[in-house]
Amino acid sequence: MTVRTALGALARNLTRSGLTALGVVIGVAALIAMVSVGQGADAAVRRQLASLGTNVIMVYPGTTTVGGVRSGAGTAATLSVADGIAIGKECPSVAAVTWLKRDVAQVTYGNQNWSTALQGSNASFPLVRDWPLARGRFLTDSEDVSAAKVAVVGQTLVDALFAPGEDPLGATIRVRNVPFRIIGIMVRKGRTSWGSDQDDVVMVPFNTAERRVLGSPILGTVNQMLVSAKSPGAIDDAIEEITLLLRARHRVPEGEEDGFTVRGMTEMFETSLMASGVMTNLLAAIASISLLVGGIGIMNILLVSVAERTREIGIRLAVGAKARHILLQFLVESMVLSLAGGLLGALLGVGAATLIGRLAGWPILVSPAAVALALGFAGVLGIVFGVYPARRAARLDPILALRHE
Amino acid sequence: MIDARGLEKTYALNGETPVAALRGVSFGIAAGELVAIMGASGSGKSTLLNLLGCLDRPTAGAYLLDGVDAGRLDADGRAELRNAKIGFVFQSFNLLPRTSAVENVELPLVYGHLPTAEHRARAEAALRAVGIAELAGRLPPQLSGGQQQRVAIARALVARPRLVLADEPTGNLDTATSADILRLLRTLNASEHLTIVVVTHDPDVARQMDRVLLMRDGRLVADGSPASVLAGSAA
Repeated sequence: MTVRTALGALARNLTRSGLTALGVVIGVAALIAMVSVGQGADAAVRRQLASLGTNVIMVYPGTTTVGGVRSGAGTAATLSVADGIAIGKECPSVAAVTWLKRDVAQVTYGNQNWSTALQGSNASFPLVRDWPLARGRFLTDSEDVSAAKVAVVGQTLVDALFAPGEDPLGATIRVRNVPFRIIGIMVRKGRTSWGSDQDDVVMVPFNTAERRVLGSPILGTVNQMLVSAKSPGAIDDAIEEITLLLRARHRVPEGEEDGFTVRGMTEMFETSLMASGVMTNLLAAIASISLLVGGIGIMNILLVSVAERTREIGIRLAVGAKARHILLQFLVESMVLSLAGGLLGALLGVGAATLIGRLAGWPILVSPAAVALALGFAGVLGIVFGVYPARRAARLDPILALRHE
Repeated sequence: MIDARGLEKTYALNGETPVAALRGVSFGIAAGELVAIMGASGSGKSTLLNLLGCLDRPTAGAYLLDGVDAGRLDADGRAELRNAKIGFVFQSFNLLPRTSAVENVELPLVYGHLPTAEHRARAEAALRAVGIAELAGRLPPQLSGGQQQRVAIARALVARPRLVLADEPTGNLDTATSADILRLLRTLNASEHLTIVVVTHDPDVARQMDRVLLMRDGRLVADGSPASVLAGSAA
């Protein structure tokens, strides 16, 4: 009964009701959109983290110092294949190890040619990087030992060299003029967070890269090692085991620099995860304030409405309405406004979040918790900001209210 | 029906000298009477009407409506009494502007105990009783003054009260329409055996009633037939 009265009052002032609810619509929409965008940014960082492989630890050789000029990390030939084999055998927290040799190489096929990344690795690479094959198979250890001229290619290279519909499997490409037979194609991995195309690659066995293509002066040196720990919790243990083992193997005296770098992937992303977390909270706080302002808007309009409808309240009191009927009527009006605004805002917010996600290329997560929170907030707002105007209405003296002009 | 015993009402205005609006008024009105309360402005007739309508409580004295001491009821109790036993008709009609005639008439039922399903039929019956059933769907601004007052009278009747209180019901109407409304009140008084109390300052209105109470300076100064009271006041 009171609900119907309240709905009727709102319907008779549709424009004003709509404008009043608009504050809550925008507040709730902003809250949901902002939280979703924040969580989307977070998810984007995590997705990139996951795309690097599971529980990955990177090991770089140290820097070279020539005449006091220090080169960057990875320039010295201090890490060897033997180190990698030892890590795989002697570190209990390590699940798999792969060692890499990288260079730029010109690849030709038919009349096409393309400059791409040449990568020599052992058979564990797909496992460590969590990077499966689309077709065919990866390089084997026996192919590594025999320095076989077989290659696995990335999708970008396939697109660059082969006509659409042409089957690259079994085709022979030339890498720096050395013929290789393609035995596998990796699935598309996408770009790294720093923008380099991971699919623009030709992978060959480590020994093949070293001996047949690059012609390294010292055999068995690696540019980089990727190690996967047995579990996310084992990463720190693995880092320590690797560091101790390498220091022992390299006979690094106590107190001297390692000559190599061991880093977990997670560390690298900690800052961006933290930043996106801070951003989410900040956006949510700002959106909450706009929701609060929306609530104050409702209170404001309800106060105006009470003043404007003083005579109506007087009439209702005269024909037998009790104070609580009037109180309830205005409370219901306030709650209907804020909840309707909340629902509409939730729809808009989800829409806006989806749109932003599509534009930014983020996986937008509209969490049901955020929607529920925003709606609950809107409901509470309706009550809190409805109470004061409703009490004012309910306390009116019927005689004065009836005479009100 | 109405038993007023020594009603007094004093308004204390912000610590200034209290103003006595009613200084001991006693009278009785039987069921089915058609009574005018007359007096100049400031005579206390509006205050008396507020007390009779249970909108206010007397400072002293007792007001019994149908044997119930209305002066002792709290706000909710008075609201229920108004809802069940009293219908109001105002000078300025006091209809809800953006609400159809029939919905205006339903208003007292919203706060009563009648099942919602019966509201519409009761409201339409009340509109028929005042002769404007065909205007049920109109909004008040689409109605003439006389029609609006008829809607207001229908609203006063819809809960089937024992008492209808009319405060200057013809104050905003032209002479011909006033006559129509007074005729309607007389008819309702006769046909429904309804007690009607009209507050007015207009002797022409008072003359249409069966009995006139004359107020002056918060006191009841005359009580009798219109002819005798009006002759006395003129003298």
